[in-house]
Amino acid sequence: MDPAVYVRMMCTAKKCGIRFQPPAIILIYENEMKGKSRQRIMPVRNFSKFSDCSRAAEQLKNNPRHKNYLEQVSLRQLEKLFRVLRGYLQGQSLAETMEQIQRETTIDPEEDLNKLDDKELAKRKSIMDELFEKNQKKKEDPNFVYDIEVEFPQDEHLQSCGWDTESADEF
Amino acid sequence: MASDRAIPCELDQEKYDADDNVKIICLGDSAVGKSKLMERFLMDGFQPQQLSTYALTLYKHKATVDGRTVLVDFWDTAGQERFQSMHASYYHKAHACIMVFDVQRKVTYKNLSTWYTELREFRPEIPCIVVANKIDADIKMTQKSFNFARKFSLPLYFVSAADGTNVVKLFNDAIRLAVSYKHNTQDFMDEVLQELENFDLEQKDDDVPDQVQCGSLESLSPS
Repeated sequence: MDPAVYVRMMCTAKKCGIRFQPPAIILIYENEMKGKSRQRIMPVRNFSKFSDCSRAAEQLKNNPRHKNYLEQVSLRQLEKLFRVLRGYLQGQSLAETMEQIQRETTIDPEEDLNKLDDKELAKRKSIMDELFEKNQKKKEDPNFVYDIEVEFPQDEHLQSCGWDTESADEF
Repeated sequence: MASDRAIPCELDQEKYDADDNVKIICLGDSAVGKSKLMERFLMDGFQPQQLSTYALTLYKHKATVDGRTVLVDFWDTAGQERFQSMHASYYHKAHACIMVFDVQRKVTYKNLSTWYTELREFRPEIPCIVVANKIDADIKMTQKSFNFARKFSLPLYFVSAADGTNVVKLFNDAIRLAVSYKHNTQDFMDEVLQELENFDLEQKDDDVPDQVQCGSLESLSPS
């Protein structure tokens, strides 16, 4: 039996992580025997501290030997794992790398995005899109409703948003 | 404020005078979700018209208000908001405004006052709805008060382009407001024109001393 067809039907990804030495992406998954965890070690080859993490992630995800196992693992997660590995290869501490990733993958709420150029703005938008897509109710979803109305009354005893200035002249 | 960047002369705005046409503009900072709101409302029916020369996207929509068909053009900014100001033609003949901020970013709320000042410079009277978008990201924000809307007595809508909360209601209400604004101002313009015509008649009537002259003004009494 063709193993690729076999796993497509049965593989449920549980956890995915990175091993530094020797470098490998490790997937914990469940196959047809529910409750029985299996582990798949996917060695990382030809990756250096100068490598492009998003390309590496794409290559792994499309690797014919692994792609069926990685179907449920997002490209973003794989990319993040490669960044952790790259940070290690660059001699950074794990905390440093994580902080760097955090900085590059979250929005600074104080930042005025009107002042960014196209490229930087597109980066911020793609970070925001991640949450948008996570919360998005799509037309294809079985419980999709086109017109959803929810009332949020603005009455007197609400707490202020904290963004209004104290002075009466300003809002 | 609005500078004289490329004037969109090939954009025909005369049509907005026609009875069944309304123009609704969207304002707000970069990345507050203006286009995503449009797309959620129009779903598959949207065919945006990119006018990149003017940093402008037009969305056409056919609506029914009180049994009558209305052709709506939604104007979206397509990056022009980066200048924190829009070209005067963006506001020209607009019948309503949807002004959006992101509940996760204070700066987009603070900038509402800049947008609102510019809007009122060009369109002192048109209906304007304030929209708090992305409530899916932080639902607690719907439990807070926002003074900006209260200060200018503007309606405030809590919406989410992602999960769809109140999006359809927002746009349908905006269309309704645009249509009613248009009809009311049209009535007003008709009255003014009528008054001018009558004024002309009166001038001529001056040559005929026996004529009663005040009668024509009576038709102007509030209806």
